Amino acid sequence: MMRQLDSNILSRLNPSPASDAGHYVELPVPEGSDVLKVADGQSFSQVYMIGRGEGCVEGLPFSSIVAGAGAQVDIVIVILPGADADVPLAVDIVGEGADVRISGLYVCSGSDNVSVRTDVRHRVPGSMSRQLFNGIAAGSSRAGFYGKIVVAPDAQKTEAYQTNHNLVISGQAHAETRPQLEIYADDVKCSHGATVGRLNEDEQFYMRSRGIPEQEARVLQMISFIAPVLSGISDQELKDSVASVVESAVRAL
Amino acid sequence: MDINEEKELLRDITRKEYKEGFVTDVEQEFIPKGLNEDVVRMISERKGEPQWLLDFRLEAFRKWQGMKEPEWGHLDMPHIDYQDIIYYAAPKKDSERPKEIDPKLAETFDKLGIPLKEREALAGVAAVDAVFDSVSVATTFRKELADRGIIFCSFSEAVREHPDLVRKYLATVVPAGDNYFAALNSAVFSDGSFCYIPKGVRCPMELSSYFRINAKGTGQFERTLIVADEGSYVSYMEGCTAPMRDENQLHAAVVEIVVLKDADVKYSTVQNWYPGDAMGRGGILNLVTKRGICHEGAHLSWTQVETGSAITWKYPSTILKGDNSSSEFYSVAVTNNYQQADTGTKMIHAGRNTRSRIVSKGISAGHSQNSYRGLVRMLPGASGARNFSQCDSLLIGSRCGAHTFPDIRNDNSTAIVEHEATTSKISDDQLFYCNQRGIGPEDAVGLIVNGYAREVLSKLPMEFAAEARKLLQVSLEGSVG
Repeated sequence: MMRQLDSNILSRLNPSPASDAGHYVELPVPEGSDVLKVADGQSFSQVYMIGRGEGCVEGLPFSSIVAGAGAQVDIVIVILPGADADVPLAVDIVGEGADVRISGLYVCSGSDNVSVRTDVRHRVPGSMSRQLFNGIAAGSSRAGFYGKIVVAPDAQKTEAYQTNHNLVISGQAHAETRPQLEIYADDVKCSHGATVGRLNEDEQFYMRSRGIPEQEARVLQMISFIAPVLSGISDQELKDSVASVVESAVRAL
Repeated sequence: MDINEEKELLRDITRKEYKEGFVTDVEQEFIPKGLNEDVVRMISERKGEPQWLLDFRLEAFRKWQGMKEPEWGHLDMPHIDYQDIIYYAAPKKDSERPKEIDPKLAETFDKLGIPLKEREALAGVAAVDAVFDSVSVATTFRKELADRGIIFCSFSEAVREHPDLVRKYLATVVPAGDNYFAALNSAVFSDGSFCYIPKGVRCPMELSSYFRINAKGTGQFERTLIVADEGSYVSYMEGCTAPMRDENQLHAAVVEIVVLKDADVKYSTVQNWYPGDAMGRGGILNLVTKRGICHEGAHLSWTQVETGSAITWKYPSTILKGDNSSSEFYSVAVTNNYQQADTGTKMIHAGRNTRSRIVSKGISAGHSQNSYRGLVRMLPGASGARNFSQCDSLLIGSRCGAHTFPDIRNDNSTAIVEHEATTSKISDDQLFYCNQRGIGPEDAVGLIVNGYAREVLSKLPMEFAAEARKLLQVSLEGSVG
């Protein structure tokens, strides 16, 4: 992406820092045109399709979100084949009671090189964040996920969850995932889960023994694999249209 | 429990004595401080080493000179002045009775609960190699083991008596230039244990090494090499302690394990180096490289209980080279006061149908920072390989940190990797449940932590498990948050 990123945000989202400190490091809250500010009590909900087709964007219009007290943020990122995208996103929760949901799916084919990088910082007590990213790597693509959750000292009663599942469906595809938790407060509920795997053979057998052709069975499996991300879209009409775009992308793999 | 009571309890643990913190007053010989080629030559000469080993050391030293100390750990490392360390310290031998162990040394190990007189040890429980600063002072049960063809001796002795074996396997798992601290170790390593289990032999007793740092201003750089030949089995344990001092002391060891076809090795560590005082002064910097390689059908199991050291920075790892080989990593890492730990494992799957399992339990209290860092790598040839990782962190007190940094890379469409991690504190419900039944807050925490770590503790050999349980209790007593 051509867009110039704030160097602070870039260093936050670098999965291989040259050096690291053994303690909590206070970072400035990002400012500038690249920042999406969701003020106290406001809500923001949006679906972004990243790819080459109609209705698609090249990348997110911001690289950082700052959520105030009681703010509701709900972002869905859909990365389609051919996007070859790097999606960095830093989130700073600066107000109590904020609820941030970021989910996404990536379908990678050909020689796509897709990476999603998130860094969610809970700077104040009593906020919540949920991240869900599911990805499929086909062809000779590379799919990478890097996601960090940081809970600052005294940010008690934080709830932060992160899930990342990946499917590798061809011999030349690669998937990499680096979920990270940095927790400096004790009264919190935080977890992350990550998997990299293949299509379940038992499920395939089940469907094929009931007369569903192998290719169709694989498509059904992949659609159900990414369905949890789509079900997070609240607008039914929008959900249906995104689902149909994703389905045709999966069928074309 | 009110605030005052809690404060009092916290004060109690900060006063807890590190019972292994004494110093043994023996006459020791040192080489001068500092590190250069002459020092490397001097160490080699003192140990009467052959030319090839000196060449190996010098090559490693030259590599080390060209390397930079790594900074990527989630650690606040104190500055280490490598020229301010004594690289070789050994208790002086009594020239009149060169065969006997200095009674003071025997007493030291006795005090630490490591009997060096065989008749006093429970028959057949464990053979011990005791290392004091830079030299091995005694190895027990050698004859019984030799009858079965098992070689268990100090590393220096192995170099003299079994040079072919040492030369064949040394640095095959951890090359001299592998990383900064491994290169340093390769250049200046002093003593350690060597163990060879012949084909098809099941080692009849636990083998163990006990490492003790005693001298001031020194570092310990031991080297352990374990070779399990085809179809053999051995269970190996390692323990360590050091005196209480205000300065940081460096411990940079290398452990290499070669597990040949269908062999099975179980490696257990209870690490209790001096952790520094309640204000974070002093303590051992434990910067260790441990790695094993599994050939076809082989199995390697790591179990570690880490309660000591000011800084622990290590990743016992397995290269699953052979088809159908498997490995496990079970770890409990406890940090309190100002301790820091950045520890975990690496599982490199190269062979087909290789399996690995990681269970890591971190417990942080006080102002400590406890990180799990791990790598699971599925190489293109690792068809049908499988990994499962579970990393849990428990926070006790609001000023500590618990972190998880796994790295999963999969280049094979038939391999499956799963990782999950949780962070939580001891729940008020659990504490309430115990208190209500007459179990005091201290005992309740002990009970809950032991239950939390049980999956790992149950993998330890029996004699070690009891010690580990006690250590957990001592490390955390009073830290109710």
